[in-house]
Parts: sequence; structure tokens; C-alpha cells
Amino acid sequence: MKREVKDGIFKAAIYISAVFTVLILVLIIGFIVAKGFSGLSLSFFTRDYEDNTTYVTTALYACEPENVSKGYISQLGITAGYDENGIYVKSIDKDSVVKNAVNTKDEKYSIKKDDRITSVGDVKLERFDSEEEAFWALADAVSAQSGTAKMKIVRPGGGIVPMLVTTLLMIVVSLLIAGPVGIITAIYLNEYSRPGKLLNMIHFAIQNLAGIPSIIYGLFGSLFFVTICKMQYSLLAGAMTVSIILLPTVITTTEEALKTIPDKYRESSLGLGATKLQTVYKVVLPNAIPGILVAVILSIGRIVGESAALLLTAGTVAQIPKALWGNSASGATLTIKAYTLMKEENDLTTACAIGIVLLIIIIVLNFISKWITNRFMAKKGA
Amino acid sequence: MDNMQRNKKRDIAEKIVEAIFLICALVSVVSVAAIIVFVFYKGLKPFFGSDAYSFFDFILGTRWAPSEDTYGIFFMIVASVLSTAGAILVGVPAGLLAAVFIAQVAPKSLIRIIKPAVELLAGIPSVLYGAFGLGIIVPLIKKISPKVQGQSMLAVIIVLTIMILPTIVSLSESALNAVPKSYEEASYGLGATHMQTIFHVIIPAAKSGILSAAVLGIGRAIGETMAVMMIAGNPTAGLPDSIWAMVRPLTTNIAMEMGYASGKQSEMLFATGVILFVFIMIVNLTLIRLTKKAGEK
Repeated sequence: MKREVKDGIFKAAIYISAVFTVLILVLIIGFIVAKGFSGLSLSFFTRDYEDNTTYVTTALYACEPENVSKGYISQLGITAGYDENGIYVKSIDKDSVVKNAVNTKDEKYSIKKDDRITSVGDVKLERFDSEEEAFWALADAVSAQSGTAKMKIVRPGGGIVPMLVTTLLMIVVSLLIAGPVGIITAIYLNEYSRPGKLLNMIHFAIQNLAGIPSIIYGLFGSLFFVTICKMQYSLLAGAMTVSIILLPTVITTTEEALKTIPDKYRESSLGLGATKLQTVYKVVLPNAIPGILVAVILSIGRIVGESAALLLTAGTVAQIPKALWGNSASGATLTIKAYTLMKEENDLTTACAIGIVLLIIIIVLNFISKWITNRFMAKKGA
Repeated sequence: MDNMQRNKKRDIAEKIVEAIFLICALVSVVSVAAIIVFVFYKGLKPFFGSDAYSFFDFILGTRWAPSEDTYGIFFMIVASVLSTAGAILVGVPAGLLAAVFIAQVAPKSLIRIIKPAVELLAGIPSVLYGAFGLGIIVPLIKKISPKVQGQSMLAVIIVLTIMILPTIVSLSESALNAVPKSYEEASYGLGATHMQTIFHVIIPAAKSGILSAAVLGIGRAIGETMAVMMIAGNPTAGLPDSIWAMVRPLTTNIAMEMGYASGKQSEMLFATGVILFVFIMIVNLTLIRLTKKAGEK
């Protein structure tokens, strides 16, 4: 009897722990989705983060105003709309002149749907009592211009385009550095090196790298890459720092893949007179591709989720880096922006909306790596 | 003759390639060395020279006020250690039991749910754990806490527990699965029940693997930054007097101020990093020793 009670208690504890683990996941995902869902919209994925104000000059059609009360501005070939924030572009005619508008630097700056028109010439277009009044004010302001019109255009922000691009760039640059170095290291360790002090040292270093928390990498990166190498807060400083973080993952995963390749393959290749390098290149590597892909996918997951190290090396500016390093090369990834939104702007909704995007990325990556493992790697064991 | 020359060329090419491969392999070693050298160099600088800061004031001080040239981190060390200990105390047993469930108890259909769940949990970025803590845990604690704010050591412990769970579960599971089937059968043969077998035979046999999982969990917990930073409260002085108190672990001290710090303050942040690094090195070395021992078995 006593034994049965004891068994029952243990069993209950085991079930509770298992349920707890799954419940936590459901809770976290549920929370992020519930909180962030209202922040999702199409414009969230298509717009810049900040509002952009630009002065543009556009040609005008020589024609009389028509349908003004419906918001149509015939000289520009656009239909205006009006809401509490002012006048905006509701739709644009197919052949409208505003598609060829230029900014003050004479670069093409096409007016797009949802852009706000805040002034035409010297006439400021702010605060109206009614929609119709606003449309007439705009039409009059445009009619007062001849030939061309200078307009102040505010393109609304609130989107995550810069962070998406920065994250993508960060992935590409980091993988370009950590990928080759990590894969070659794995090849060296598995195919070339002989057991001994050197091999032990390299393995020891890799194990240590894996255990260092990302804030320490951030400290190192901010001192070495940002300050000493004079890269400043930049894409490259961030990518270099992340590359070091990725090395253990890439090396161990690739090494595992190399280990599963039967020695028969290598021996056959060498027996046929191939050199070691030829064997590696033509026999070992092709067979290790699924494993290398898994390493790459794990790495992408790490980069997407990385925060502490990037916070100290790539900065928090919501912009697309314009260079690899230097003044204008900094940029926040999605994760970093989610953090600053929460911490500095107290905007949990937008942060969780970004969180949904991150979750989707992580789930897709998980799924792909599972698929590769089941599809290609299980076969080799058989 | 022609053939010989070609072979020689080929040999040289092979040697060069091998050298390049070796250089790549040494990148990891150089990285570790560089990280240690640079962080320690900058972090130990303020304790030497003419206007040296007393190392004891640094490590035993309980107030961090850069504007007054006061840099004490004892309360941060305490915060880091206590939060980590709390997370391990809850996370290891819970994770181990969940691993037992996967390895021993669960039917195949349930394994198919819980294993991917654990893997996904491991992949969630720490910032999102922070969001969860900030949006759910902190408000909940605020309701029951005797203090006015929800940011507290308890919040940190809860979030860290959740964060180390996947590590503990997956590593313990591999350790449990590695126990030879014959142990189990022998136990059943002696008349033990399933639960007795699990708790008296399988878990003790998987001890070193489970210990590695716990140590790895300690490393994760003590090094976690972003999630903790959002829910810890980060006061600038004072030892935590209860689990309701706000804390400022070592990691968040660095991340909070590194963005704008310069001069001595920046060096002191590196010094904080050095202390954190010492903890991490102890964890790392213990872990490497443990895995080596498990490997020799």
C-alpha cells in the first residue's frame, strides 16, 4: 500500500512537470500573439519605422479642377482622402504626374498611396472643419501653382521594414564569416588533425566559447570591433561579434555530420588515388551538406534571437545600415527593436507584434531543420 | 618526370590547404584568448595605477553610483547568485521530471507534442521571455507582493527557471536514455515498480549527465541578460532583503550602462564583466570536467 502511494506521488510529479513545460510554451506564445496581434497590419510589413518628411516637386496637368468634393485633384491625377491627421493620398491615377515627382536633390521620389500632403507651395494644409473644406483647400492651393508644384509630403512610418532588412543583412554577413570558418574548422578537426595537444586545445576553446554569455561577447565586441577597430556601432561590428558566438554551433553541428559519414567512403576515394583534399571536397563535403544546412539554420535562429551582444555592437537605430562599418552603418535587428520598444518606449503591443514575427521565423526554422534531419540524415544510419 | 613534378605540385597545394584549414581551426582559440585578454585588461585597469580604485571596495561595496565615483557590486553578485540558485532549485527538479516523462513514461503520441514544445522553448529569443515576464509575471507579482512594484527577484527567478527548462530537459533526457536497458530489466527482475526503477536505478545511473545539465543551466541563468533586465527593477544600491525586492544582477548592470558609459564608468562595467567571467569560467571548467568524466565512462 505504502509503495503504491509513493509511486502515485512520483507519477503525479512527473505528469505535473511535463504539463508545466508545455503549458509554459502555450502561455508564452499565447501572450505574445494576444498582445501583439492588434499591432499587425499590412503596413506593418511595408512601411519605414519613422515618418519621413520630404519636399517634392511635381509637374502639373494643365486642366480645370473637377470632382473636387470627392477629393479628386485633376492637376495631380490623385484622389485625396481626409482624416483626423490631415490630407492623405487615397489613390493615384495610373498615369499620374506625381509618380515622377523629385525631391530637393532632384532624385526621383514618387508619391505613394497613404502619403500625407501637409503643404503645397506656401499654403499649409492643416486643420479643417470638414472633408470638403480640406479638399477645396488642397485644390485651390494646387490651382494657385503654375506648371509645377512644390509639396511637403510626410510618408507615415510605424513599419518594421528597416529592422527586417537589418536582420537579413546581419544573417548574411554573419554567416559569410562564421560559415566558412566554422565548416573548415570542423573539417580540420575531423579529417586532418591527429589526436594531441593541439586538438585538445581547439576543443577546449570551442567548449569555452559555447559557455560564454552573450553580454560578455557584447563587451568584447564593443571594445575590440567598435572601438579599437574603429568600426563604430555597425553592421560589421555586430556580425563579427555574432560570428564568434556562432562558431561553436557551426563547428559542433558540422563535426557531428562529418562523423556520421562512414570511413569506407574516404578509404574508397583515397584508394582510387584521390588526394586528401579531393576526398574532402568531392566525397566528404557532399555527404555532409544536410548537416551543414542544419548548422546554418541553427545559426540563423541564434542571430535572429541574439540581443545582448548586438545591443552593444550594432546599436538601436531603426534604419537600414548604409555601409558595413562607420558612421551610418548601425541598425537594430527585430529583436533589438522589440527590446527598445518595451524598455524605452513602453510599447508592449508593437514589441509583441515584432515578437509574433520572431516566433514565426523560429517555428519555420525549427520545422525546416527537423525536416532536413528526418529526410536526409536518418537515411545514412540505415 | 612530368608526372613527378605534377605530384610535387599537388603535394604542396595539399600542404598549403592544410595550413589554411589549421588557421581557421585556430580562430576559436584566438577568439577565446582575445576575449579574455581584452575584457580582463580593460576590467582590471581601474584597480592599478595612481588613482586606483580599491578592489575590495569594488567587490564588497553595496552601492553603484558612477556620478559619485562609487562602484560597489557586492549586491549585484548576491543578486546573480541568489537568482541563479533559485532558478536551479526549481528548474532542475521540474526539468528532470519532464525528462523522465519523455524518456520513460509518456506514450509515443504525447512525446510528439512535448519534445517539439521543448525544442521551441529553447529557440524563443530571450527578449520575448522578457516580454512575457513584463506582461504577465510582473503584474501578477505586483498583486501579491508586499512591495509596490512587481519587478523583483521572484520575477527573475521565475523567468530564469522557464529559460533553463529546455536545457535541463533535453540534456537530462539524453542522459536518461543513455542508461543501459539491462539496469532497468534487472530492477524489474528484483520486483521493483516502474517508479522505483526510475528513481532508484535510472536517475542515479544518469547522475553525471543530469549534473552536467544542471551546471549548464547555472551558466545560462547567471549569464542571461535581456530578459532579466526588463523584470529585475535594477536598483543602484542595497542587498535584496526578500524575494520581493528589486535586484540588479551583474549582467544587467553591464547592459544598462554600456551604451553611454565612458572613461572610468566604462572600465568598471568591464570589471563587472570580469567578475561575471570568473563565475562563467568556474561553470565552464566544471562542465568540461564533468563531460570528460562521462566520456571516459
